Amino acid sequence: QKRTPSAVTTNSTPPASSIYKYRLFRCAAPRTPSADHQPLPSRQATRRREHQVPPAAAAMLLTKPHPALTLPSASLPNPNLKAARVRPLASSAPHGRRGLRVSASSSSLAPAQAASAALNRVDVLSEALPFIQRFKGKTVVVKYGGAAMKSPELQASVIRDLVLLSCVGLRPVLVHGGGPEINSWLQRVGVEPQFRNGLRVTDALTMEVVEMVLVGKVNKQLVSLISLAGATAVGLCGKDARLLTARPSPDAAALGFVGEVTRVDPSVLHPIIASGHIPVIATVAADETGQAYNINADTAAGEIAAAIGAEKLLLITDVSGILADRDDPGSLVKEIDIAGVRRMVAEGKVGGGMIPKVGCCVRALAQGVHTASIIDGRVPHSLLLEILTDEGTGTMITG
Amino acid sequence: RPWRVSHVSSGLLEMGIRGVTVSDVRGYGAQGGSTERYEGSEFSEDTFIAKVKMEIVVCKEQVEPVIDKIIEKARTGEIGDGKIFLIPVADVVRVRTGERGVHAERMIGGLSDKLPPVITIS
Repeated sequence: QKRTPSAVTTNSTPPASSIYKYRLFRCAAPRTPSADHQPLPSRQATRRREHQVPPAAAAMLLTKPHPALTLPSASLPNPNLKAARVRPLASSAPHGRRGLRVSASSSSLAPAQAASAALNRVDVLSEALPFIQRFKGKTVVVKYGGAAMKSPELQASVIRDLVLLSCVGLRPVLVHGGGPEINSWLQRVGVEPQFRNGLRVTDALTMEVVEMVLVGKVNKQLVSLISLAGATAVGLCGKDARLLTARPSPDAAALGFVGEVTRVDPSVLHPIIASGHIPVIATVAADETGQAYNINADTAAGEIAAAIGAEKLLLITDVSGILADRDDPGSLVKEIDIAGVRRMVAEGKVGGGMIPKVGCCVRALAQGVHTASIIDGRVPHSLLLEILTDEGTGTMITG
Repeated sequence: RPWRVSHVSSGLLEMGIRGVTVSDVRGYGAQGGSTERYEGSEFSEDTFIAKVKMEIVVCKEQVEPVIDKIIEKARTGEIGDGKIFLIPVADVVRVRTGERGVHAERMIGGLSDKLPPVITIS
C-alpha cells in the first residue's frame, strides 16, 4: 500500500505562538506546551505531505505515542482500547461540549472533560476504520525480539497490541527470538555464549539449552501473556507438525547447529488461526534426521509469512528503521521498494546488523508478501502505529 | 511471479502498452544448483512452480522500452524472476477488421501514439 498523508485534523495553520485552534472532535486533547514545541523530527523531515502541517499540529494526530506512555491502563474504561489513543487529560475546570476552541497557552491548558475524552477515543477508533477494513481477515506475521522483549512494559504493550489486532479482525502470527534469555541460561549452565558475525556458535550442549529456553520458557511465557491479555495462543516450534524443516547453514562447520529453512509446511497453522488462536512460533527446527537446529527468527518469520500468504511481515527491532544517513536519526526512510533497498545496501548505507533483516524482508516480498516493515520496538504501540495508521513507524519495504 | 503480474501490467499500461495476454503456467528453471524459494520452501529442478506467462506483441521500436519496463517492475533479485524471450512475429491480423501488419498491431492511444512517428526511409 502506498502511504498517503493522512488527513489534516487542524483547520488553521497556527503561528509559531502557542495559541492554536482545533476542531475539538477531530484532534487529540491538549498536551503540555513543552511537548507541543518538540515535533518529532523524523516524521517531519521525511514524510511526504501534500500540504505543510505545522509540527505541533501534526504531533496532535492520534498516532504519536510517547507522551501517552505513562497513562495507566486503570484510567481506561474499556480495557481493550490502547493507551496511545487516549490523550493525557488535564484536570482543570471543564469547558463543555460547546467549546470548539482549545487554546494551549503557556500559562494554562484547556481541559477536556471525560465526555470529550470519550469522544476523542471513539473518533480515533473511527479513523482507524479504513485500515481495519483493508486488513480484515488478512494474516500478519510479527517477529518479536530485541529490547521489546526485555522490558516488561514494552512486552505487555506489544502483547496487548497483538491481541487488539486479533480482536479487530486481523490474524496475527507471532514468531520470536530469545537471545538474552539463552545467554543467561547458558551462563547458568556454565557455558560462555559465543558469537561469530552476529550468529551464535551452537554446539550440542548449546543447542539443548537453546531449545529448552526458546521452546520451553520464552514461547510459553508469551503464550501465557497473550492469555492474560484476553486472547488465546498456541505455542509451537518448528518441529511441531514439521512446520519448519532445517538444513545446516553453509557455515555450519564454524557455527554448529545453526540452520536455514528448507521447507515450510504451514498446514498446522491454518486450523489454529481459523479457530481464533494466535500461533506463537519458536524457530527451532529439525532436519531430515531429527537433529535440532536453531534458525534465525527473522529468516524463519519471512519464510513463514511467505508460506501462509501473509499480507504483512513486521520485524520488531531495536532501531527506528533504515536510515538514509547513518549519523542522522531524522533521515528515517519511511517507504522504499526492493530495488531501492538493494541500491542502499550496495551503497553501504545499510548497517551490518540490518542487512540480514533487509535480506529476509526482500525474500518474503519476492515470495508474495505484500509489505515488509522494520519497526522500532522501543516505541510503545509500534505495531498499531504501523498497521493502523498512514504514517506508520519505521521502514516499510514494498514490492 | 504470479503476484507481480498486476504490478508489471500497470507499469506497461502507464507507458502505453495496451495489449497483453497472460496465462497461468507452471515451470522450473535450473540456476546452477541454487534453489528457488516458493512459499517459504526451497525447490530445485524436479518441482514445477506456479508462474505466469505474459505475451506482448510490439513493433520493433518499442521492444527495448518494454523490456526495460518489465525488468524494472518484475525484478526482485531473487532466483525465480523469470526470463524474457524475444520472438519475431511474422504478421499480425486484427480479427474484427481484417487489418494486417503495422495497422493491426497498433492500438489507439497506445505507445505508438506517444512516441514520435518513425520516419521510414524508402
